[in-house]
Amino acid sequence: MKKTGLYFALSAVLFFMSASPILSQARAKKKAMRDMEAFRYEIECVGTGVEGTYLIKVWTYSKKPKVAIEQSKKNAVHGVIFKGFAGGGRGCTSQKPLASSPEVEDEHSEFFDKFFADGGDYMKYVSLSNDGSIDSEDRLKVGKEYKIGVVVSVMKDQLRKDLEKAGIIKALDAGF
Amino acid sequence: MKKVALVIATAILSVGMLMGQAKKPTLMVVPSDNWCKQNGFMLKFDNQGTVEELPDYKKALQGSSDLILVIAKISQLMADRGFPCKLLEQELKKLSQESAEDAMLTSKSGSGVAESPIDKLYKSAKADIILQITWSVNVTGPKKSVTFVLQGIDAYTGKQIASASGTGAPSFSAELPVLLEEAVLAHIDNFNNQLQNHFDDMFANGREIIVRIKKFDSWPDDFETEFDGKELGQIIEEWFQNNTVKGRFNTTDATANFMLFEQVRIPLYDANGKAMDARSFLRGLQNYLKNPPYNLTSKLMIKGLGQATLVIGEK
Repeated sequence: MKKTGLYFALSAVLFFMSASPILSQARAKKKAMRDMEAFRYEIECVGTGVEGTYLIKVWTYSKKPKVAIEQSKKNAVHGVIFKGFAGGGRGCTSQKPLASSPEVEDEHSEFFDKFFADGGDYMKYVSLSNDGSIDSEDRLKVGKEYKIGVVVSVMKDQLRKDLEKAGIIKALDAGF
Repeated sequence: MKKVALVIATAILSVGMLMGQAKKPTLMVVPSDNWCKQNGFMLKFDNQGTVEELPDYKKALQGSSDLILVIAKISQLMADRGFPCKLLEQELKKLSQESAEDAMLTSKSGSGVAESPIDKLYKSAKADIILQITWSVNVTGPKKSVTFVLQGIDAYTGKQIASASGTGAPSFSAELPVLLEEAVLAHIDNFNNQLQNHFDDMFANGREIIVRIKKFDSWPDDFETEFDGKELGQIIEEWFQNNTVKGRFNTTDATANFMLFEQVRIPLYDANGKAMDARSFLRGLQNYLKNPPYNLTSKLMIKGLGQATLVIGEK
């Protein structure tokens, strides 16, 4: 009886030990999503991208650098749709968000929940520059978490066209 | 029952289709006077003793490959957004070809094509919205950069409805066409955002037009002539009050012989749901004045979607 109890306790400890990184990763992912919804990320322009794209650097916060890198893609697309970004040096020009207001996200919450889910449609419009390698100066420790800067390219023209088709944003020639 | 439902559905659909589309403005990319002057593409002519300079678009298009590149790039990007641009070069060619054809055209009895002096004057390359471009190259030592200005101008009101400008990143090696292409790509989205705001305002508050009311010499009356105790000018203003969106218009000038209305906001659709422009709007006033007690004949002339003139007295 004692042996069985010991086995049970041991396997429970082993289970929690093995599941703990997965759970903490899942927690980190959830937090990253909450941060995205609360616009807790920063976008800066890196340069003029090739035609139809924006070349931007996204700063994402997370305890897990791996989660931050993956989340950067979502944040980049989210930022292009709802936040826009400032210009500055390198010939960068400030760009307004594709959506006319941040409320669009709530108005079409069902669409965006699916869109930004893991492996969602947002993946079609974003690619990591430099194969996702992060410069040392783009990996900052801020308190208990990391602030990771990732350069990404967002296919804004295609994104705009698809959002127009889905009725999320208005086309320039709508009504004519 | 099914038939009734089908008829109702068809009726709703056809009304929807009728109401669906407002008249689409035409766009054309044109180099600014400033750019033409800086690059030596000007035309000098003697205007009764005063030498005046006008931009020579034909010379500019034949002499500057960079201009062709910028026009082509902007036109391509605008076409992607549902607004194919009229090409300045093609418009100029069309005009000269049309005038050559008109000169040669005769009927079997030998009569030519009728053309009044005003018809000749109106024959110019035109669009509802002019996309005016200006750029200059900045050179600092071995580095080059481009300052680029894109302005959207309503051809009738003369108002700037959208603009985007800025200086690109200096480069040691990039050639001018590359810098220009970069400048267009960097600014076109901001420009289109402002254009979108202009269209949103148009859909909410009506199209803005300019209206001129004049009189022919031969007409013995004027705008101070009274009908049922009211001056004609006042009657016309009341008509504008009742037929503009939210009664919005400005009487900029009003004399006995001439009235100028600016910032006239006209609805995009008439009572039957048909798309409306300056011509169809002013035709309403023309018909109103044709009826008793006024019984006035008038001539209606237009300039594109947004400018119309009514001359009272005869056709």
